[in-house]
Amino acid sequence: MMDAQESHNVTLKINGKVHHVDVDSNWMLNDVLRNRLELTGTKRACDYGGCGSCTVLMDGVDVYSCSTLAVEAQGKEILTIEGLGNSENLHPLQKSFAFSYAAQCGWCTPGMIMSAKSLLDHNPKPTEAEVRAALSGVLCRCTGYTSIVKAVLDAASVIRGET
Amino acid sequence: MSGELFTVGKSVAPVYGIEKATGEMRFPADVNLPSMLWMKILRSPYAHAKIAAIDVSDALKMPGVAAVLTHKDVPTILFGPYQNEIYSLDEELRFVGDTVAAVAAEDWNIAEQATRAIRVTYETLAAVLDAEAGAAPGAPDAVLHYPDFSEIKPGDIRPDQLGTFGNIVGLKEGGPTVVNQRGDVERGFADSDVAVERVFRQSEVNAVSHEPRACVAVYENERCTLWCSVQDPYRLQDSAARVLGLPMDAVRVVSTNLGGAFGVKVTGRFAILCALLACKTGRPVKIWFTREEESLDSHNRSALTHYVKAGAKKDGSLTALQVRTFQDNGYWPFGGLGQNIAFAISTRPVDLYHRCPNVKWEVFAVRTNYPSTGPYRGRADAESHFPIESVMDELAHRIHMDPIEFRLKNRIHEGDDLCSAPGKIVSTVWVEEAARAGAKTIGWERRSAVPAATLGPRKRGIGMAMVIHSCGSNPAGTSEAEVVVDLDGRISLFSGTPDQGSEQQTTLRQMVAEIFGVAVEDVHGSNADTSTCPYDSGPFSSRTVYATGIAASRAAEDAKKKVLEQAALLWKRAPGDLSIAKHAVWVRSEPLRKLDLGEIARAAGSPISGKGVHNGKDDRLFAYGFAAAFAEVEVDVGTGEVKILRLVSSHDVGRAINPMIVEGQILGGAVQGLGYALTEGFCFDPRTGTALNQWFLDLRTPSILDIPDIEPVVVELGEPTHPFGAKGCSEISYVGVAPAVANAIYNAAGIRLTELPMTPDRVLKALQELKSNAP
Repeated sequence: MMDAQESHNVTLKINGKVHHVDVDSNWMLNDVLRNRLELTGTKRACDYGGCGSCTVLMDGVDVYSCSTLAVEAQGKEILTIEGLGNSENLHPLQKSFAFSYAAQCGWCTPGMIMSAKSLLDHNPKPTEAEVRAALSGVLCRCTGYTSIVKAVLDAASVIRGET
Repeated sequence: MSGELFTVGKSVAPVYGIEKATGEMRFPADVNLPSMLWMKILRSPYAHAKIAAIDVSDALKMPGVAAVLTHKDVPTILFGPYQNEIYSLDEELRFVGDTVAAVAAEDWNIAEQATRAIRVTYETLAAVLDAEAGAAPGAPDAVLHYPDFSEIKPGDIRPDQLGTFGNIVGLKEGGPTVVNQRGDVERGFADSDVAVERVFRQSEVNAVSHEPRACVAVYENERCTLWCSVQDPYRLQDSAARVLGLPMDAVRVVSTNLGGAFGVKVTGRFAILCALLACKTGRPVKIWFTREEESLDSHNRSALTHYVKAGAKKDGSLTALQVRTFQDNGYWPFGGLGQNIAFAISTRPVDLYHRCPNVKWEVFAVRTNYPSTGPYRGRADAESHFPIESVMDELAHRIHMDPIEFRLKNRIHEGDDLCSAPGKIVSTVWVEEAARAGAKTIGWERRSAVPAATLGPRKRGIGMAMVIHSCGSNPAGTSEAEVVVDLDGRISLFSGTPDQGSEQQTTLRQMVAEIFGVAVEDVHGSNADTSTCPYDSGPFSSRTVYATGIAASRAAEDAKKKVLEQAALLWKRAPGDLSIAKHAVWVRSEPLRKLDLGEIARAAGSPISGKGVHNGKDDRLFAYGFAAAFAEVEVDVGTGEVKILRLVSSHDVGRAINPMIVEGQILGGAVQGLGYALTEGFCFDPRTGTALNQWFLDLRTPSILDIPDIEPVVVELGEPTHPFGAKGCSEISYVGVAPAVANAIYNAAGIRLTELPMTPDRVLKALQELKSNAP
């Protein structure tokens, strides 16, 4: 971590809403989401891009918010788990994870779902192998992954309107 | 319970599922409060040292720093997760990463920088960096400064943990921590036709909960509230009250949901220091561990060395088992839970192979200058079954007997006495059923009785292991529960146990719903808030479904009885004439006559509350969980790589209250067990005690690409000591995997791997040895 800090005012477009935030040069997007904007749905588990629980979408691409400087996100469109849906209006991925015990402790779940969202945006009909490859940047310690793969495949077929 | 069940046995959706999938769930790390300060810890760079001098003046001068705590600023009052045996800060530092000082500042950056502005002069001390060497006479002391006896209160530490101090926990100077002995092993070996002797080594592993520990403390009006990632909220309440000098009811701990815990998230210095800083500054204070802190300031599974010798007759009778275990206990002054773990290591496998007449198992739990060890998923049994199940496999092979039949011939039976729970007898033992169901699923008959039967460089084989583990009937724990029928008829369960991912609230509410004849969505309530929930020891030893389940069922039955009594009073009928279903009480003989639960509570003049308690201390019957794990592997003799083709995990669960959750726990445990088998393990620099792989990817937990086809098998034959016949299975699912894989590797390639993790270099080394020993 750097010692000398410079403060910047950044404009972040998060879940469709514009925020102006004063940040230090070395603050991560994850710090700003969680500690300044109360968007605590995005988690952190490893601090350095090793586990994926902090995954958010930046201009439609899944990125690790713990390894993205807040200043890098200036002007970008950020989508977090809170912007995907909520308990009143669940996204099909959230629904399939919630009801099938694909979220055990729930810590990797937001990152897993955002990573799956990125996959399904680009590939609405993935194979099981493609789901595994796409989610391999997010680790889970509880489920053993089987229920997660199934939840993503189930949600994909719901989004395609097949079930 | 007889007859058709309404919700028990059904895969109902998890009650916390939606909150988890939307990110709306508030974990302790998600609590942010106005004017909150951030806390960071300065950690020891030395494995063993004394703080000769500490100067915090530069740190305090930094803009944004609110307070710094060193050992000079904290009360010398003991607290602790297991026994109350540690001060919140101490001048002696006992491992690389030990807590030196704590800072509170306006944000996380400033706090971090302030820790680096603290000037410390360390006086380094000789360190113990190998358990076996630490047990030898003349070894330096891993702990020099022991807490003052006058501080120790009755009930904190068992008398046998006090006394002379060497590095061996427990007190027979020069002797082991625990000896479990029966019969005469020398005679047993004389009686045997074959004997095997091997040394096994297992690396220290971390639970790798994905939520790094967090605590947010608020101190106002001589009351303290802590939102904290702990499995033992009532212990933290007790500890914080002691150190802050507050009555227990002035301390509230909330730990409703945790992002994984696996046994290791217990009361720690981080939470006590957070509370002290909140008290000192008068502002809310938050600490949130980095991954490095989560790896090292935790309670890991011990590194172990086992010297094993076992003998059997040609007919398959075990005649003798002799083991000497060295268990790296870490830095705790009196040993933390090391002694309990040592006892379970030396007794559980002996209970599983109850027919073995001659046993001597010694465990040396040794204090070292490494991180703390403690009860991680499969506590004690993951430690002991790798060597035992490997040796059972080898004995079976040597006498040309099927490994399953060999194990079953020597196994425990219903009603057998237990050396792991003295004075108690085991209730149900469905281990044979689990083993046979698992064998059928994997296709055991395909297994070649001769090892290394596959031609070519990729050799396939099948192996198994049979295991015993706590299913929740740990007599050291107590669970209380309350079920309330409110004035509006709403049914709520209050339980003190945190949910660390097992969705126990779903399972517990299913039991309550069953008793009241309502859907699980109609049972509400809260958990793990010491201000609203009754006491629970916490989700350890797979005890929630079993022990808390018994308490919750008793509470529901008690509330139901009171509801029926109240309705009987209103109708002037005997309670036996009435039944309860669909949120109402009905008269059996008059199908249209009913009173809603709310009307009954209103008539009673207050909410109707039922209480239930479980503590198995005085029960003679003791429930155990059993399982059999089967692995099919492919060993590449060119690269040493072990590919898992299939894993079958077969469990005696008594009864699955929620099959989806039970299978989820079995799958999750199996994957963690695979990590223990193949990839995970701390590397410490043996000269300095510094961890070399404490960061996430270096911990090498399995990824979504590493997972084979895993098939859970659930054997449901009941358990009479539980109202719905359930046994916990979340931990035992971990235990059998590593030995099953080791035995499959033997079956595939003819090599016995005796060290965990079974990495490619170890496989290649064993293959080389096999080649050089060939005639």
